[in-house]
Amino acid sequence: MTTMMTGETAQPVAVSGCSCGEAHSVKEVCLFLSEYAARLLGCGATCIRVERNIDRMAAALGCEAVMTILPRHIHLTVCTPDRSDSYTYITASRSSVISFDINTRLSQLSWELADGKIGFEEAKRRFDSIIATPCADKRMVLVLASLANAAFCRLFAGDWQAVGVVFVSTLAGYYLKQVLTEHKVDVRVVFIVCAFVSSVLGATDALFHLGSTPGIAVGTSVLYLVPGIPFLNSFSDLLAGHYICSFSRFTHAVILTCCLSIGLCGGLMMMNLGMF
Amino acid sequence: MLLDFFQDALFAAIAAIGFAAISNPPRRAYLYCALIAAVGHSARFLMMQTPFPGLHIVTASTLAALIVGLMAVLLSPVARTPAETCLFPSLLPMIPGIYAYKTFGALVMCIYHGTESEFGHYFFLFASNGMTCLFILGGMVVGATIPIFIFKNISFQATR
Repeated sequence: MTTMMTGETAQPVAVSGCSCGEAHSVKEVCLFLSEYAARLLGCGATCIRVERNIDRMAAALGCEAVMTILPRHIHLTVCTPDRSDSYTYITASRSSVISFDINTRLSQLSWELADGKIGFEEAKRRFDSIIATPCADKRMVLVLASLANAAFCRLFAGDWQAVGVVFVSTLAGYYLKQVLTEHKVDVRVVFIVCAFVSSVLGATDALFHLGSTPGIAVGTSVLYLVPGIPFLNSFSDLLAGHYICSFSRFTHAVILTCCLSIGLCGGLMMMNLGMF
Repeated sequence: MLLDFFQDALFAAIAAIGFAAISNPPRRAYLYCALIAAVGHSARFLMMQTPFPGLHIVTASTLAALIVGLMAVLLSPVARTPAETCLFPSLLPMIPGIYAYKTFGALVMCIYHGTESEFGHYFFLFASNGMTCLFILGGMVVGATIPIFIFKNISFQATR
């Protein structure tokens, strides 16, 4: 983690005008808010939400916060309203899995602090508890994702044989994705390998003449890998004026789509099938 | 037609639940994701049919995303989740994934085929799929985000 700190005073000054009624320094507030922002950004929140939550909590703690959100870092300056004390901290954003549950609970935390329902120390305790939350049950996610992709196949007018083939190919591909991710394999390699495996399995519809829509089976077998949330976040950031973050997220999503396509093309070539 | 409509809504709901699971939402959000996706996707289906407006996929996706965005913002205080929690998984069944990888596939085919006519054909497919994909994505996000900005008080106070 890259960090930089400036503006530290010899003796931390307790912030006045804070609604939580607890003594804390600008430095403590800045460090807490930096970690909060990094986690919120890492779990897939849009830049505008990160900004609003940070502003809300800073105001509740009797401070003002100014922030620059960069693709891999957050640069946060917290100061007192009269500018007598300030602290700047640069922290690396935490790249973790997308979690709307953590996003929701961190947003709730910001309101609880802003509305004076909890103090600064309690907020820090709850924050630690929220970020320690484990992800949803992997087997349940595996089955639901496979069902979703099979439903997707039906939405694209695939027949029931194609739906069955897509379910199995997604089940295998997504399981492989979970295993490779657990082993910390690079996300681009994961996308190529999973798309390859899913497309090879998806091509069995054409290979064994199972149904009448083999093209749809192959096409939809890899759709669970399409990085939908990064695409949506990038456009949302664009509309909110966060152009650098938007471009970064869009580039990341395009690279993952390219990796997906490379795996798919490899699978199709191996099975001697055409894309068009 | 009616059967197709309900089938579209049902499978969109299943797809939304599954894709929502990948992004770890709170358990209470699944039902809202399914409901919003079913309404949004079936609305797009209707708008693209010829007895109805028969709109192009870009226009229909934009209008359907507007409906999805409105529902997500209005239901987010009930679900006590940020609007994006219900909004993004509900939009995922409309993401133009097929267009996205066909774009890349056509690009690869351009490189493999050296003659002018074949190159031109695959470049057309690359440009056509790529532009359709980008315009659908742009339209969807604009449509879905407008309600968030119009109803800022609701969308950013849903977790209060």
